Amino acid sequence: MVTVGELIERAVAAHARLGLVAEEVEDEATYLADLQAAWAARLRAVAAARGGEPADPAVVAALDAAEAQVDRIADPHRAFDWLSTLPQVVLLSLGEAP
Amino acid sequence: MRFADPRPDGRAIVYAAIQADPLVDRCAAALADASTGQRILARAVMNGEPADPAEWRAMFPALFGAAVPAAEGARSQAILDLALEVAARGEESRSQVRGAIVEALAERLVARRTGPVRRERRILFDGVASEIHPYDLTVERTDGVAEAWDCKWGARGIRAEVLHQLDDARRHAVDEGATLLVGLVVFDARRSCEVRLLRERGPVAAGAVKLVAIEQLDRLAGGRPAA
Repeated sequence: MVTVGELIERAVAAHARLGLVAEEVEDEATYLADLQAAWAARLRAVAAARGGEPADPAVVAALDAAEAQVDRIADPHRAFDWLSTLPQVVLLSLGEAP
Repeated sequence: MRFADPRPDGRAIVYAAIQADPLVDRCAAALADASTGQRILARAVMNGEPADPAEWRAMFPALFGAAVPAAEGARSQAILDLALEVAARGEESRSQVRGAIVEALAERLVARRTGPVRRERRILFDGVASEIHPYDLTVERTDGVAEAWDCKWGARGIRAEVLHQLDDARRHAVDEGATLLVGLVVFDARRSCEVRLLRERGPVAAGAVKLVAIEQLDRLAGGRPAA
């Protein structure tokens, strides 16, 4: 059984991978760090509340698809945009406010 | 305070052609009646790498899952199809079209609440040098609250100079005894916009420049965010 907490840790790890790609935009380093911290905190707040819940298979599939997309992103500017999009995709699939 | 057309230049001519692209209007029309989830889907796809439509549908179970009513699923599919059309454009064209879509969407929503809504207009004040860049949207009311909006695809478009131009206009209006509501419409997550604002706001007072992010777009029309 996959839990919501495990899914969220996968999402946070994928978010960090996007951050590595976005790092190439050197003049946005501070914003990048702030953005990653803000979204990781939001995702982990959901894990703190619901981490032990079993994850719906549709939500697992949603994260699989989102990770596949993340792992294809090589452009740093696109990666920056996805630093907002990935957490919103995960939150929507979990029925949380995006 | 008065409103005027910008000085004609090459950029305006090129941009007018982008704004007139039929795909821009089709996207704006669909997104004006979309839910927040559907708007996030559009943003994801328009900024995504090429992928099978099935992968996008899997990514958004709340829009395409088995429990979703058929009509709502069809609306989500229509938005996915439009977003895939945008994503299929070359990188430069895709970027230009996305910006124009946000402006056209904001125009439609604001026009549901008030008017007249104009595009690409300058605001002039007595004794103040005019700004070079026009505002994306203006509401040119002389009998109430006028408005000036800049529209951005992403939170990274929130920059100090943009905030200062909007806030300066607001303060000049006050100096003339007028009321000008100024704001940013950003097709990005509110959380990302707020992080950006903290860095870029500088001396601009909190709340002086309104922020309408992707989750609250319906507020432009005077309504509450769709579910």
